[in-house]
Amino acid sequence: MKQTKILFILFLLVEVGISFGQSKEVKIRVDGLSCPFCAYGLEKKLNDIKGAENINIDFENGLVTMNIAGEKNINKKEIKDKVKEAGFTPIKVEILDFPKSSENPKQ
Amino acid sequence: MVLISCVFFLPESLAQGPPINTETPILLGLEGGGFRTFGKIVSTDLGTTYIQPLAIPYNLGTNFQIGVMQPFISIYPKIGDNNSGFGNLSLFVKQMLFQFDSKAKTFRGLLKYTQTFPTGASSVSADNYSSQFMFVAGYVNLNYSLNGSVSYTFVSKNLPDNFVYDFAFGYPLLPQKYPPFQLNLYLELNGQKTLKINKNLLFLSPGIQLITSSTFLLESSFQIPLVDDSGIIRNTFSFGIRYLVF
Repeated sequence: MKQTKILFILFLLVEVGISFGQSKEVKIRVDGLSCPFCAYGLEKKLNDIKGAENINIDFENGLVTMNIAGEKNINKKEIKDKVKEAGFTPIKVEILDFPKSSENPKQ
Repeated sequence: MVLISCVFFLPESLAQGPPINTETPILLGLEGGGFRTFGKIVSTDLGTTYIQPLAIPYNLGTNFQIGVMQPFISIYPKIGDNNSGFGNLSLFVKQMLFQFDSKAKTFRGLLKYTQTFPTGASSVSADNYSSQFMFVAGYVNLNYSLNGSVSYTFVSKNLPDNFVYDFAFGYPLLPQKYPPFQLNLYLELNGQKTLKINKNLLFLSPGIQLITSSTFLLESSFQIPLVDDSGIIRNTFSFGIRYLVF
């Protein structure tokens, strides 16, 4: 019984940890990305978004990808506003669920 | 006095690229908040002038920039005493007029106003005010960049006004990626017409620029006079850095 309780508490802790660690992938189509030395401001502005990490900029395809961790409701308008503040033109924002932890404690 | 005039007649020697000697309408990244300095050597038949300006632009929002530029000038005439000192201080503002973005390319234009004050040492600078109005346009994609500007400068104390025009073609030698590590080649035409006395000056300016990170670059340019109505300028050479702090 004691062992079951300990296992149950451990299971709860892992599940909570997993749900806090859940990260979403965000893809942003951006126009005007024509010079890498101009993109620093874009990275800085996107880093202002709570939970933002792993920002990658693909110039050829006009695509910015990033992860936002620990946020259930991501504000697409906030992301678009940040892109505009950086001096570029946001075209489309896509949010994909991307679980951060791939381990299943039940197995 | 003639060598001071060389500083005065230099076509847009204090531009803030990239490109190197030509303005750009892009106010982002290394064009935005930070500082730029370079050493410019102007070699003439009468002696050599060395100019070291420090320019500090600052972006107020995405479409508006203010800035200050303070040159330090040293003059080494073939005959007479050497002189050094701070040149005239300039304040400038830039306002974006239009911006057309598409995938991996942009076309932008802005207006720039520069006001120069007679704050410099009399041994190295002219004792007059000048007001410059400039229009800048540029098209940039991942394969090349085209930037150009035209400006008119009103000069006080009955000194001649001047009309300045610049054009730059930029070519990146390395694939564009982020964080940036870029090596860019530039070929520029920098010209000036001094009105009233009707003197023309036109330089062909090849240059190279190394961008080592998001916040730092090194650049160098050599200016060859194609047209020189004053008949005394041989060439100019500049080497500079840019560092983004804001």
